[in-house]
Amino acid sequence: MADQLSTRRILPRGHRPAAGRRAATDRRLGYALVAPAVIVLLAITAYPIVANVWNSFHFDNLSFGALPHRFVGVDNYGKMFSSAQWLAALERTLGFTVVTIVVDIAAALGLAVMLNRKFVGRGVVRASILVPWAVPTVVSALLWKTMFDPRAGFVDYFLGGIHPAWSSLTWLNASVWRSWAVIFIADSWKNIPFVAIILLAGLQVIPTEVYEAARIDGATGWRAFRRVTLPLLKPALVVALIFRTLQALLVFDVVFIMTGGGPGTSTETLSFFNFFTFIDSTDFGYGGAISVVLVLLALIVAGGYVRLFRTDQT
Amino acid sequence: MQYSPGRKRPGMQRRRALAPAVALAATALGLAACGSSGGGAPVAASAKQTIVFAESGLGTEGQATQTAINAFEKANPNIKVKIDVLSSDSTTYLSQLENSFTAGSPTPDVFESDVTYPAKFAQAGWVLNLNKLHPDMGQYFPTEVAAGTFNGAPYAVPWFDNPEGLYYRTDLIKTPPASPAQVVSDAQAAMKADPSLKEGLAFEGDKYEGAITAFLTIDSAFGGKLDPQNVNTPGNLAALSWLHDAIYKNHIAPTAVTGWQEGQVEQEYVSGHAAFAINYPFVESLATSAPVKGNTGYIPFPAGPGGTPGSALGGEMLAINAKTAHSAAAWKLIQYLTSPQAEVTRAEVTGDPPSLPSAYTPALYAKAPYFKNVKVLNSFSQPRPVNPNYLTVSNDLQVMLSEVFANTKSPAAAISSEAAQIKSDASAAAG
Repeated sequence: MADQLSTRRILPRGHRPAAGRRAATDRRLGYALVAPAVIVLLAITAYPIVANVWNSFHFDNLSFGALPHRFVGVDNYGKMFSSAQWLAALERTLGFTVVTIVVDIAAALGLAVMLNRKFVGRGVVRASILVPWAVPTVVSALLWKTMFDPRAGFVDYFLGGIHPAWSSLTWLNASVWRSWAVIFIADSWKNIPFVAIILLAGLQVIPTEVYEAARIDGATGWRAFRRVTLPLLKPALVVALIFRTLQALLVFDVVFIMTGGGPGTSTETLSFFNFFTFIDSTDFGYGGAISVVLVLLALIVAGGYVRLFRTDQT
Repeated sequence: MQYSPGRKRPGMQRRRALAPAVALAATALGLAACGSSGGGAPVAASAKQTIVFAESGLGTEGQATQTAINAFEKANPNIKVKIDVLSSDSTTYLSQLENSFTAGSPTPDVFESDVTYPAKFAQAGWVLNLNKLHPDMGQYFPTEVAAGTFNGAPYAVPWFDNPEGLYYRTDLIKTPPASPAQVVSDAQAAMKADPSLKEGLAFEGDKYEGAITAFLTIDSAFGGKLDPQNVNTPGNLAALSWLHDAIYKNHIAPTAVTGWQEGQVEQEYVSGHAAFAINYPFVESLATSAPVKGNTGYIPFPAGPGGTPGSALGGEMLAINAKTAHSAAAWKLIQYLTSPQAEVTRAEVTGDPPSLPSAYTPALYAKAPYFKNVKVLNSFSQPRPVNPNYLTVSNDLQVMLSEVFANTKSPAAAISSEAAQIKSDASAAAG
């Protein structure tokens, strides 16, 4: 019965109106204080999103500033879906995403398992593996570009013995496969530590009693890892998968710095194509359509993972 | 007095009442700060005024501009010039200008423009048609004037002119090559004679704008012309094939050129690694130590049969915002900055080659003899396509060049697959 008493009932009657007014005033004050931040956030996030969707149904190109901004329906989307360049960029982006996720998750899992063991200097190693993740992608991409430079980089110095003296082994923009290899290396170097830290956090919450019970039941080594560690690590794995998948789908800066999409268009990803359409061609209509589809693609993937995660919980 | 949550402090009620108003005012002020004021009625050049000049110069170039502005202000005490230093990255610089123009801002009143921008700005109605100011465009090098002309009207004035050409080591190559074939044979001979050379020819082969100017530098030597309506010509194909063969057949250029921009090419040449290099005039002033000191020649790319000596136009121009009320003062500033005296002073300090043939005087040659070569190159330089959609056309050209330099497509296949796209993108500008 006592828990059915409202707090209003136990307050002295005379205090209620004043308290209500104060609560309303506090609420108004709260709204007023957050209003500037909310308005600014809406101005710099909601407005651009809405404007971008709006633009994607219009002709809006700064290169043709004298031409009218006019409604073109779904023409920009039609142009995109029939564009060989867009389809090729989509194919490359999905390929990059699949490969990078498999490699990064596998490497990060190994790293996390290693870091979860006790060894001398574990704290230093755990802290230091985060350094690549803390380096801005533009900086790390430039570093890797320099390291793979056939004249200034150390990679070619070490590989000096396996190619003819008159020519150096050129990694970037001289070969499609070598260009992709360097992009993968630079991207993974930066992102594997981040995934490893997420997985390490997941490993640390697995109770040791579970392993002890498994050991009593005869499960050790690989079997314990497969039957105990992996299932209990699934929540952390899903989080890591969501982060890495979205990062990989939207990959731009490492490609922009290292190859500029070359040789030809062979390393152009969706985000790079979008950047080129928006910034170089200043085609906000077509660029808007590309970015809307890119965001939808990312949302679908994220939604798929979340659904997978929820199913797992129930 | 100690504050307790249940007790109102003096004045708190009033502050609470004011809070929404203060919050709204702060927001309104913040948003207002993002806007711009209108241009207003035209202001005479004789009136007291301040104009904004946007430029990208850093270091020596920035200092030279500041010195010139100081002199201009001294000569025109009623006009103050506020220098707005924008990004030194060309893409960001362009975006910054476009942001101002699309917002309808009357500032910057006057600005520096790459030679490839005026057509786009003119098409969009962002820059002033200079015919209203009766400019004497005949005093400048005609190629750069052409780069600033759109639909027959001038929209930008040449400020300095950067013709790209061929550097060569005079200690290794005794007489300048007379044909593209001789460039190859001279490079091969030099590589054989001097083992310290790492390549016969260095050029910009990265996937960026510089690859286009490197191509353009040699294009007319093969009878080529970078007309976006018809890129697939025998001359253009011959020029493209020559660069391809330089890497993969004649082995005078390394595959590493696919990552080289003008900075790396400069390093290769100045370090004595290259017998030939395609680059801009600034390299001459950096050839100050062995083995290139005193051993550097700078010439147009030698012509082959049916061609003319080759050079590509680079450089910067000055233009006036169409929305400014200060066009008269802005024009005065442009006239001052492009006067022979101001251009010579700038050339001496920064190495930026004057855009006026009349500025190439014996006095300038006495201080920097290499300007004699630059003047020769200026008479041959070819502009990139003057088109409002040039940046898209440029990307198409970069794709074509990148495919050839990486040997992922033959020159014939690359030029034929990109020609239609280039034509389509260039024609789209007509609406």
